[in-house]
Amino acid sequence: MTTAPETHTTRKTVIEAHDIVKRFGGAVAVDHVSIAVGAGEIHAVVGENGAGKSTLMRILAGILTPDNGGVSVDGIVLEPGAKASLEAGIALVHQELSLIPEMTVAENILLGSTPTKFGAIDSARQRKIAADALDQIGVSVDLNERVSRLSVALRQFVEIARAVARSPRVLILDEPTATLTPAETDYLLNMLQRLAAKGLAIIYISHRIPEVFRICERATILRDGKVVDNLIIADTTPNAIIDKMVGRELKLDLQTRRIANPGAVVLSARGIRAFRVNGIDLDVRAGEIVGIGGLVGAGRSELVRAIIGVDPRTAGTATITVDGQTKNIVGYRSAVRAGIGFVPEERRTEGLALEMSVADNITLPNRAALSKAGFLQRGKITEFATRLAAEVGLRPPEVGRDAGQYSGGNQQKVVIAKWLGREPKLIVLDEPTRGVDVGAKAEIHRLLRGLADGGTAVLVISSDLPELLELSDVIHVVRDGRIMGTLSPDEANERSVMALAAGEKVASSS
Amino acid sequence: MTESGTQLKAAPVNGTPVEGIVKRQASVITWVASRGIFIFTGVLLVFSVIFVNGFASSVNIIDVFHRASAIGIVAIGMTFVVISANYIDLSVVAQVATAGVILLALSPTYGVLGAMAIALFFALLYGVVNGVSVGFLKANAVVVTLGTTGIGAGILSLLTTGTIYYGPENGPIDAFGDARVGPFPLSAFVLILVAVIASIVLSRTKFGFMIRSYGSNKQATRLAGVNSGGVVVGAFVLTSIAAMIAGFVLAAYSNTAVATMSEGFDFRALAAVIIGGNSLFGGRGSILRTFLGVIFISVLSNILVLSGFSFAWQQLVTGAVIVFAVALDALARKAEKR
Amino acid sequence: MSTTMKLQETQTGTWNRVKNAVARRTEGRAVILLILVVGVIAVQQPIVFNAYGVSLARVALVGLVALGLTLVVLQGELDLSVGSTLALTGVVVASIPDLGLGIIAGLVTGVAIGALNAFLIVLIGVNSFIATLGTLFALRGLAFVMSDGRPVRITDIDSALVFGRELLGPITPRVLIFILLFVMLQFFISKMRAGREFYAVGGNRQAAIDAGIPVKLRLFTSFMLCGFVAALAGVINTLELTAADPTAGSTVLLASFAAVIIGGNLLNGGRGSLVGTLIGAFALGLMQVGLTFAGADREVQDVLIGIVLLVAITTDPNNLRALSRRLQGLIRGKANQQA
Repeated sequence: MTTAPETHTTRKTVIEAHDIVKRFGGAVAVDHVSIAVGAGEIHAVVGENGAGKSTLMRILAGILTPDNGGVSVDGIVLEPGAKASLEAGIALVHQELSLIPEMTVAENILLGSTPTKFGAIDSARQRKIAADALDQIGVSVDLNERVSRLSVALRQFVEIARAVARSPRVLILDEPTATLTPAETDYLLNMLQRLAAKGLAIIYISHRIPEVFRICERATILRDGKVVDNLIIADTTPNAIIDKMVGRELKLDLQTRRIANPGAVVLSARGIRAFRVNGIDLDVRAGEIVGIGGLVGAGRSELVRAIIGVDPRTAGTATITVDGQTKNIVGYRSAVRAGIGFVPEERRTEGLALEMSVADNITLPNRAALSKAGFLQRGKITEFATRLAAEVGLRPPEVGRDAGQYSGGNQQKVVIAKWLGREPKLIVLDEPTRGVDVGAKAEIHRLLRGLADGGTAVLVISSDLPELLELSDVIHVVRDGRIMGTLSPDEANERSVMALAAGEKVASSS
Repeated sequence: MTESGTQLKAAPVNGTPVEGIVKRQASVITWVASRGIFIFTGVLLVFSVIFVNGFASSVNIIDVFHRASAIGIVAIGMTFVVISANYIDLSVVAQVATAGVILLALSPTYGVLGAMAIALFFALLYGVVNGVSVGFLKANAVVVTLGTTGIGAGILSLLTTGTIYYGPENGPIDAFGDARVGPFPLSAFVLILVAVIASIVLSRTKFGFMIRSYGSNKQATRLAGVNSGGVVVGAFVLTSIAAMIAGFVLAAYSNTAVATMSEGFDFRALAAVIIGGNSLFGGRGSILRTFLGVIFISVLSNILVLSGFSFAWQQLVTGAVIVFAVALDALARKAEKR
Repeated sequence: MSTTMKLQETQTGTWNRVKNAVARRTEGRAVILLILVVGVIAVQQPIVFNAYGVSLARVALVGLVALGLTLVVLQGELDLSVGSTLALTGVVVASIPDLGLGIIAGLVTGVAIGALNAFLIVLIGVNSFIATLGTLFALRGLAFVMSDGRPVRITDIDSALVFGRELLGPITPRVLIFILLFVMLQFFISKMRAGREFYAVGGNRQAAIDAGIPVKLRLFTSFMLCGFVAALAGVINTLELTAADPTAGSTVLLASFAAVIIGGNLLNGGRGSLVGTLIGAFALGLMQVGLTFAGADREVQDVLIGIVLLVAITTDPNNLRALSRRLQGLIRGKANQQA
């Protein structure tokens, strides 16, 4: 484990973070991380989903205050807070764009620092500064255009222009190419190189190894909140970086895998297109667990939601086949009626009514079965809920308690339990064990395997590679809204999944 | 398929905590905000009995009940809209007057039941227009019902051109208005009946359950396969039906109906719902709370009247109480977030 | 590789530029309404076009309140108390013997009400519609209490009468004030940094906070301006009628909202313009005058305004777009099913 990073170049250090620790509740998000970036350097920060990259960046930008350690620019330790960081010249370009859709390009670039003359907007200066910023990054856009009418790529560039307009010393970009086409990505990378040549220190967070190798000088690799290594790009290979990102044994113990016995195709999707989904074909069989892998922003949730009708599709069909009868999935409600259950990514905002009891939550999709002539049958509900709570291992199994009072793992179990009650033909889960404690995670895995053994078709999205490998009978790896590759149990290991997800071709033999 | 056999029984894994609960801290303010209505109403009642002359007389109590009935029925109906997190239905004012006028104006021609049926039609019309606009077209409930109030009240005024309709002396409607059970007016029983029915619908029926769930978390309810647009329409329709009943009661009370009969009405019904502690963001709340809110408002108005304050003062005080109550609710919500 | 890459097709030619400029505008529906109203009036009651004074006066009253309301709506909030503010201010003005003092007191009242609303909404955290609903009732009640429920006559009637006199052609002081206020507010919202930032607060509040915009201050400003403008309307109304009517205000609320929303202002904030509200107020004002000349009852106006509001709020372009997308998806699905 590296402690202090070594600057192998003659570059003057611009920004440095020393021994940063950040905890959220009981979990450590950033674990004694130190990083230093010099003027004119493009420094990559790589790591899997959840490795702590975004948290670290927000600490560097002053938005979050670390529990330990501090950030310094040009050797001066910064006070906590976004304002101090902004003034010191640190500019963060978010993943979630923070533009005002109905305002113009010029206004957005100058947002918050609009030049004024006695309170009135000095539009001449505004236009000049905006034009200069755009010039610096080499982009040509109509300054008067409303941002809402720009393409995603252009919006990204406007966001960067805003950062650049403040003449920063440090530019931090968090997954800037996630939503860009190859041509636009190319353009962005050239842009960053030009900016670096002018002396800017650039921190580039990305999973995309080819990009990292194209423009970055050094890379800090994070895993589980810790710095795994600090490498000079010229002295290493993409494979080496991927290995360090993943860091676990390559071979999977095939003996612990369950023997799948897939039956007929239950879910069939062809040519699915939607927002961020660019053509997906996919089948799920009865008794099979299909895993969807890929990095954040790849379009995994979007494609699954488009298939089952939660979000609108622009093209493609999806069908569900039960007892030989094939039905088109037209809208989400008809999907549910046909026997699909959906466990969404955000259990607190989409999965549960936190202020209602566990029994109530379980009742919701099962209300028809639990009422007679429009009246809820309390006794039946309690019995039903208690039974399901026991099946999922809710602890303590008090179905009358408010769902919001339970821990994350238990809450997730409740979400799964409510669908179990419907005996679904297909159950779709988006990040089923995110934020869930180790014990509950194992129980949920056992539940899913049991479901599959019982003949249910299971579709799982997971950013947790070991989990994905443990559970899935087949893995589709998604990138840019397309399935990049499909891995069978033998081919699937952490290396091959990450390689497909991050953009490297799979080597024939690693 | 799912087997409820041993295959799915999850066993605790070594090393996991036995308790899977994250307890919430309750603060004083949260406690007061949620139980406040009980406390405040109780205090107010005690205060009135002791300090306000003439309050504790049977004549007065009966009068309070009378006034409370119509307001209460409307407020209880509106609870459905409020609980489904759709803010409020401002058009109840126009709806009450519409129902009252239809009853008295049309019963000579179509009979009491006929007039009631026609009133029901219009109540449903209101409910559907409001419900579809808010539930399917996703428009803001406040603005939509502001619009339907303007349309409905305007049409009513046009058609009646200020006519005051009188029910026949000693006709069935008049009889209803004068009827008593013991010392209590019949309308009070209607109020209680409506409250009981609404309470049952809200807490025991599938539909009421969907409304509560939708109010608690719209997206989760939608993802559970519920037709959320239909839920909203249903909530507005129930509100309209309750407003219609209130209109009948109000018309029966004085045996007269005019297009402006519900003026000065709106704020008390709204106040009752808001003050009753129904969180206007949906989810929490109950018919009982609304009921207590109605009592609180009615007693408060009564105290003011008995103490010689004009109707204007009632508006002022009620408005101030609303502001205070919602401020309290907001502070409580803030405190809970910590 | 060139250093500057055009990623956006810049459409050349004046026609394209005009098309783009038009597509950016949000006032479309207000313009449609105006054309409709003008069309109907031209056919049915062309005399309206000669009665400038009346028309302008009508537009001015509703328009004034609507302008103030627009400022609040742009930030994503509501103010339901504008009607009550108008009424209460009128009572305040009429109740003070010294007219000059009365006017000042009235305007201060409006600003104070705005501050009260902002306090509840911004600092305490009450939802804007509930808070202003509460103040609507409280202030209405206060107006009634102060006036004993009856119209209050102005003491200094002579000075007040000056107000109704025409200054320039058909332009009365009322209309003049309206025009002036529109110009000032339009300048504020488009050329002043503080005003322009209203759009940011409404468009993406979190981004505005992150960018360092003083959001709370902007919110307070909009509510206080809204209160001031409503108070101004109340003052003008009282001066012209030489008496304050405590019941004034409910139609104004309906009409103002109608003007604001048909004018293209999004309730969620961040989108819209004062110009749209102006056009909407014009259309509604003309409609009201046309109906009056046609001998229609006052209630017909309410009904039509209500219809305009209902149609406006349900035909919001964003909502419609999302709705049509869903419908398209469903239709496509059904078509596939039949195939």
